[in-house]
Formats: sequence, C-alpha cells, structure tokens
Amino acid sequence: MVTHQQRLAARQTRRGLRTGIAIVLLALMLFPVYWMLNISLQPSGGTLPSSFFPPQPSLAGYTTAIQDQGQNLVTSMVIAVGTVVLTLLIATPCAYALAQFRFRWISWALLAILISQMIPGIVIANALYTLYENIGLLNSIPGLIIANAAHAVPFGILIMRSFMLGVPTSIVEAARVDGAGLVRAFLSIVVPISRNSLITVGLFAFLFAWGDFLFALTLTTEGDITPVTLGIYTYLGSHISNWSAVMATAMLASIPAIILLVIAQKYIAAGATGGAVK
Amino acid sequence: MIKKRLAAAAAMATLAPLTLAACGGGGSNEPGSEGSASEAVSSLTVLDYYTESPSHSQIGDQLQKCGTSIGVATVDHQSVPGPTLIQKVLQQASSKTLPDVLMLDNPDIQQIAEAGALMPLGDFGLNADGYAPGPVSAATFDGQLYGLQPGANTLAIFYHKDVLAKAGVQPPKTWAELKTAAKKLTSGKQYGFAFNATADYEGAWQFLPPMWTNGGDETDLKSPQVAGALQLWKDLVDDGSVSKSAVNWKQADVNDQFIAGKAAMMLNGPWQIPSLQKAKVDFGVAPFPVNTPDQTSIAPLGGEAWTVPVTGDNAKMAKAAELVKCMNTDENQMLRAKQGGLVPTKLALAEQYKTEVPSMAGFTDAVANARARTGKLGPKWPDTAKVIYTGMQLVLTDQAAPADAMAKAGAS
Amino acid sequence: MSDAETLTTATEPTRPSSDTAPAPRRGRRGEEIAKVLFVVPAALTIIALFGYPVVKNLAMSFQNYTLRTFINGEAPWVGLQNYVAVVTEELFSKALVNTALFTIGSIIGQFVIGMLLALFFHKNFPLNGVLRALFLLPWLLPLIVSSAAWRAILEQDSGVLNVTLEGLGIINAPIPWLTSPDVALIAVILVNIWIGIPFNLTLLYSGLQEIPDELYEAGALDGASGWKAFWNITWPNLHAVVSVVLMLGVIYTLKVIDIILGLTQGGPANATQTIATQSYQRSFVEFKFGQGAALSNILILISLVFAIVYLRATRRQVDE
Repeated sequence: MVTHQQRLAARQTRRGLRTGIAIVLLALMLFPVYWMLNISLQPSGGTLPSSFFPPQPSLAGYTTAIQDQGQNLVTSMVIAVGTVVLTLLIATPCAYALAQFRFRWISWALLAILISQMIPGIVIANALYTLYENIGLLNSIPGLIIANAAHAVPFGILIMRSFMLGVPTSIVEAARVDGAGLVRAFLSIVVPISRNSLITVGLFAFLFAWGDFLFALTLTTEGDITPVTLGIYTYLGSHISNWSAVMATAMLASIPAIILLVIAQKYIAAGATGGAVK
Repeated sequence: MIKKRLAAAAAMATLAPLTLAACGGGGSNEPGSEGSASEAVSSLTVLDYYTESPSHSQIGDQLQKCGTSIGVATVDHQSVPGPTLIQKVLQQASSKTLPDVLMLDNPDIQQIAEAGALMPLGDFGLNADGYAPGPVSAATFDGQLYGLQPGANTLAIFYHKDVLAKAGVQPPKTWAELKTAAKKLTSGKQYGFAFNATADYEGAWQFLPPMWTNGGDETDLKSPQVAGALQLWKDLVDDGSVSKSAVNWKQADVNDQFIAGKAAMMLNGPWQIPSLQKAKVDFGVAPFPVNTPDQTSIAPLGGEAWTVPVTGDNAKMAKAAELVKCMNTDENQMLRAKQGGLVPTKLALAEQYKTEVPSMAGFTDAVANARARTGKLGPKWPDTAKVIYTGMQLVLTDQAAPADAMAKAGAS
Repeated sequence: MSDAETLTTATEPTRPSSDTAPAPRRGRRGEEIAKVLFVVPAALTIIALFGYPVVKNLAMSFQNYTLRTFINGEAPWVGLQNYVAVVTEELFSKALVNTALFTIGSIIGQFVIGMLLALFFHKNFPLNGVLRALFLLPWLLPLIVSSAAWRAILEQDSGVLNVTLEGLGIINAPIPWLTSPDVALIAVILVNIWIGIPFNLTLLYSGLQEIPDELYEAGALDGASGWKAFWNITWPNLHAVVSVVLMLGVIYTLKVIDIILGLTQGGPANATQTIATQSYQRSFVEFKFGQGAALSNILILISLVFAIVYLRATRRQVDE
C-alpha cells in the first residue's frame, strides 16, 4: 500500500521535475536573450562575440545605458501603462456587447475589426501623422497613449470576446432580475468573471506599447519624448553602431517590465467562470 | 472619467473626416506665399539622421553656432534613424511641415529635388565653386544646385599590417594581386578578404569600386566590363577567400569580422576608423586595385549634404540658406571632417587636411576623384541600384553567370 | 442546466427582456441605447484610427502616387495599372509562394509549440508563474535588437548555432542559414516561430485556465485522461480561443516585415521576399506608392478570405 506520505512525496518530485523541465525549456527559448547579454558585455561594441562567455566582460555598455536612458525608460513605462488602462476601458464593454448582445450587425462589426488588423502598421502611422498634426497631438504622451491604445483595441475586442462567449447569460440574467442595471451587471458580474481575459489583453496591450517603434517615431517631431525603442538609436548611427550599449539598454529596460508581467501572470487564476455558476 | 474619454474619442472621430477634406489631396505648393523677407527669423528647424552620440551633439553644436552667427537664436535639431529619414520627410511634406534645413544622403538629393521639394541654392546666391566634382554632380539636378555637402567619404581597402607582413604579402594593386593575396591570407578561421554584398543600396554601393574601376558604367549594365567586375566578386568567393556570408554582411559586420581577425583585408570606409583605433588594430589603407594597368581606381562618393526644402516662408528659407552656407565654411568643413572621419569637399582644403590628419591622406586623394552615384542617372539611380544588387546576389548565390546576371536582374 | 452544458455550448444569449414581464417602453429604449453605448467608444476609436488609412490605401492603389504627390498632391488615376504591373512581375509568384510557406510554417510551429507549452504549464508546480512570465521576455526586446542577436547566432562561419551543431557532431559543414537561397526562408520561419511562441502560449494558457476543473474530474471518473481528456474535454472548450489565436496569428504573420528585413533584407537573391516585404520596399525604398498599396491590398484580400472562414466558424459555434 502506498502511504499518504509516499504519494505526497511522489507528487512533489513530479512537480519539482516539472519545474526543472520548465527551466530547461525556458533556457532554450531565452538563449538568444543570453546572446544579447553576451554582446552587451563585449568591449568592442560589435555584434560578433568571440565565444560563449565574454573573455573580458566590460560594463561600459551598461554605464552608458544607465546614464542616458533613465528618462526614456520612464517614458516607455508611462505610455505602456496608460495604454493598458485605455485599451481595457474601451475594449471590454465592446467585447462583451459583441459576445452577448444580439445586434444584427455583429458579423459586420467583427469583419471591420478584423480588417483593421490587416492593415500594415506604416500605412496607419502615416495617416495618423496627418491627423495628429491637425489636432495638435504630436509630441505628447497622451497622444502616444491614445495611438497605442487605439491600435490595441481591436485585438483586445477579439480576444476578450472569444472568452466572453463562454460567460453564462444565466448569471447576468439573475442579476438583472434582481434589479441591477445593464452597466451594473456588467461591472459587478461580467468583469470579475472575465478577469483572465482582461489580464491577458492588458498584458499584450502593455507589450505592444512597450515595443512600439513606429508610432513613437512618427508622432514625435522633437527629441524630447523618446521611449526606449527610439532611445537606442543614440547608439545606432547610419554608419557606426555601439551594439553593447544597445543590448545593455534592452536588457536593463526589460527588468521593470518583466517584474510587472510576473505580477500580472499570477492573477490568471484557474476556472474563474466555473465557480460563479454554482 | 469615461465620459472624458468618450468626448476625446468623439472629437477625434469627427475631426477625421474634416482632416480628410483638408488634406485629402493636398493643395499645390505656393512658394513665397507667406513671410516677407524683412521679418526677423528667431528659430529654424533642422532634420537629419545623426542620431548617434557623439555625432548628434557635435552637429548640434555646429548648427547652433552657425545659427547664432547669422542672427537666429534657436536651432531645433531633430535626428531620426537613417532608414526612416525619407519617410519622415514625406510625412512632413504632405502635411506642409517640412523642416527649414534638411540633410540628405547625396544619392537621394536629385530624386527629392525632382519631386519639387527643394529650393535651388542658386536662388540664394550659393554655389559650389571649388568643390570636388563628385559632391557637385550629386547635388545638381536639371542644371541647378540643390545641396552643399561639407564632408565626403568613400571606400578603400583596409588591411592588417602585421598579418600581411607575416605572410609576406604586399597590399594588392591589381585584381590579380588581390585574388592571390586574398587566397594566400585565407587560413584557419581567417578569410583573406571581406566585403558587403547585401540585397540593398549598401551592397550596390560596395560593388561600385570594381564596377567603375573596370570601366563599367551604370548606364550599360550588360556590358562585359560590368560582367568582369561580377567575375571578380565571384572568383573571390569561389576561391574561398571571401566568406559566403558576404551576402548577409552589412558594412558594420564586415568591420566586426576584420576587427575580430576573421578577415585579413576588407573593403570599407573611414567611418570605421574610430572603432579600429579603439580595438587597437594596426591597419593600413590602400586604394581599390585596378584590373589592367591603364585603369584608375574609382570609388563612389559618400556623405550627406544640407538642403533647403520648399516651405513657402521666404524669410526662413533665406536664413536656412545662410545656415547651409555657414555649415560649409572652411572652418566648419575642417571641423566636421575631423570629428566625423570625413574629408572636406573643398579642394583647396585638401593639402591642409592631409597635413593635419595624415591617416586620412589616402582617402583625401580618393575623394577628389570620387564619383557620384547619381551623376549620370540622376533620379533614376535607385532603380539601377536595385538591378545591380540583385544581379550581384544572383552571381554570388550561383543562380546566374556574370555574363547574363544583370540581364536576369532586369537590366534594360 | 449543468455547468458542463452551460460552458461547452458557447451559449446562445437568451432573448433580453422578452421572456420576462415586458418592461416599460422607455426602459426598453434606454436599455437599447445603453447597449449601443457599450460599443460606441470602440467604434469611434477604430474608425478614427483605421478608417482613413483603409480608404486612403485603397485609393492609392488606383493612382500613380509618387514622391511628387507628397509635395503637390497630384495623383492621377490609373485604374488597375498598378495591380497589373505588380501581378505580372516575375517576382510576384515567388513572393506569393514565400508568403504562403512563411505563414503556414510559422503558424504551425508557433501554435503547436505554444499549445504544448500551455498544456505543460497547466499543471501546478513551483515557479510556474514566474517561468511563464519569463517566456514573454522576447517580446520586451525591440525587434531590431532581436534580429541583430539572431543574425549573430545564425552567422554561417562563427555563429554560435553552427559552432554548437558542429561541435556536437550533428552536422559536418556549417549550415548557410541566412546566406543560401534554399535555407534562408527556413531560417526566417524558425526565427518567426520563436517570436510567435509567447503569443500563443499566453493566450492558450489563459484559455486553458477558463476550463473548470470539474469537467476534468467528471471526465476522470469516466476514465478519460491524458490524450482522451485533451481530445474530449480540453479541445472542444478551447474552440473559441483557438480560432481567434489562429485567425489573428495568420493575419499578423501575413503582415510581418521587420524580422525578415532585419535578418536578410529580403535576400539572398529574393529568397525571402514576401508580399509584405515587397509592398514595403515598393513604397518606401522605390517610392512607387501606388504599387506598394496595390500589394498591400492584395495581402488584405488574402487575409479577408481567412477572416470570412473564421467568422463562419464562430457563428456556427454561437448558433449551436
């Protein structure tokens, strides 16, 4: 007979094994990131590291990055977080509506949303420049937030809708019968249930905005608002490149972002829908 | 909170059709419509692609000093990444917000001038007398001068002095010598020679030394001289003297290979010198070899020029022209050359420059004879450049023979 | 209705209000307005951001749009000339094939690996959350940085990949990852798969988390575990998420240019040219904007076909 303790130990070993495998898989996946670390420690500034481990690691890239890029990091963070908030505010109600309400034009709406995702980014950026120039939103952080959020909204709608298709209408109906208005039912029932999809969309809105280069380049005409994606060009000229500083900047910039992502991931809990119906 | 966002979004949306109406087709440009010549100009905007430090601040300082000297208090200096400069210019052109002074890479000048975006500098009393012929022909379209280029660079052969000395090899003067030297110097992880052969304008640029030196011309790509140049590139790769990775190496990668000792010689330009000095490489420079003794080594003209876009504001445009002139004074040319690893374009400065910066002596001579890519084809150069790099890649990937590669690549 | 039924049949929304006692007319109308207001902010944003570009891009493809047009606004109408010019080019069929291979290869790779990883992470184990978050690290790095790193890794002579493979004895001669026309497309697809894994992993994982444990417990009682559990419980419940992930994956992959241009500039010898890279180069390198717009519209047309397929799939699901 297997004792309770033996079963527990076996399960813990299995779980520990899983962690080990996960770490190996992650290491494989992140090998290019390790290579960036390698390049960032090169004294020469080129992209050709001579070996697996830098023989003479130099922190020159990092000191340069820290000196120059602090403000840019803050800018990137502000824009990214602002984008998350704005995207969720706009996309969540629309996703719910397209999932649960019976409009005749839902298919057309979805088609329009999908088409918006097919347009090459540069076409959008060029058109947006003209628009922003006219309404004076150039060179502003809110302007960049709006642009990035508008860009992420269709994606958010599509993803959240696919999750919300599974929200059982019975519980919403129950709340309505109890006298709650549509908005109240939405805010107090649907949103908490859809927590997973909100966090997931928020994650991607953050990542889109964090990695955005096109809008940052197009919608700024003075050098004062430079997110990190633009800031690295301090080290990349048309003729000369200082890749160790570039890689160092990329590495350092990822640290606060990854912390946020780790925290967010913890909230993607299991079976959020399942509990509510009971 | 939500209401405010709704309002903002609604405002944007209602403005969108208005914008469509206002900017849908753009009005025609009306130079001279605003600004009287007597209005004082307090600020000028400048756009270039010098994003990297220290160039960005060096150019910024020069611009600011020039601004002060012509009575302009503020010079707004904006730099965007190289490949995105033209996009930016186009965005600004269509919304009528072009900068007052625009830097352009010399092969782009004629195309932008043809589109009607630049003012002829002759209108402001500027000329390019005393400049090397290359920069002048690059910036001249339809008989008018559109840009003044303070500094130029070009291509030459860099070699590791110690590696060549150890192998008993002299820097090659002919193509035959290049091939034997490169083969002899290939051993172990070290290739004899390295060049850039990517599928972009950089690859075309690097192919011009052999093409032009051999007597080939961009107006007749199917000629045997061009085929001969292709043959040289092909022979070097087939011999194993040049890595097949050349089709993917940018000039920066070629430089990395050279510094790392993976190439004994390389084809590159003087902008790499700071990194070579930082890595303490003992390098020598030699002009690109000739195929037959009666040929001269011809290298392509590199470097950027300052231009005055058509903004319609007469007072500003006049001041902008003064700024361009200031950036091209003897002192500023010398300063820019020393800071940026360039050669001054005024022929009169050549001797002085060679004395003050002896390491650039070879390049100084080369620049005097450097040939502009747009000299003959003008705005049609980019199409030809595409054919050149496509043909070159077809040869280097064994998909076409040198004799018919250019035809296959679409040469007319 | 049991929980399982409620969730597996992605519910048809019950008719609002009409089954219960009829609400006063004003309330009904107010509710209809409220419902529309759910959608209005999003609709405005999408129209403002995407409306004009779509129309402009379409118009541009029928015009002779050049550098000059940016200056003086003149763009003569040329009808279908741009499309004809673009489609009859020799490079077009090659680009089309490359686009198909690139998209299919990327999607299959990203999706399968993403799914396997999502299933793997579905079980609870220490550091699960942290490790999963770290998988998103590639997305935090600017694309120019990733492509520079990959170019260094895939370098034929001294890139670490070839050096390792040769060191381990798996290959005898270095693989010309980015320098051979035969291999370059594969290399680019592999890098794109690498980039796409975090996207698939995160979305599929969230989808998996939505499936209540009770279903698995109930299934386990019936003897379903492992592959059977996946096929009978997991897969049907993931339907909505899977179809949106695949749909968006295809649409986004068709648009990819940065990684291709960063790795190979479309070479060597046009081996990695896709319709998207061609569209970009036509417009912003050769300044033939009309042709570039024509190519991007062709791409949009291809995406539309997939979009219609997707909509059919989810509509059928809603009606079940």
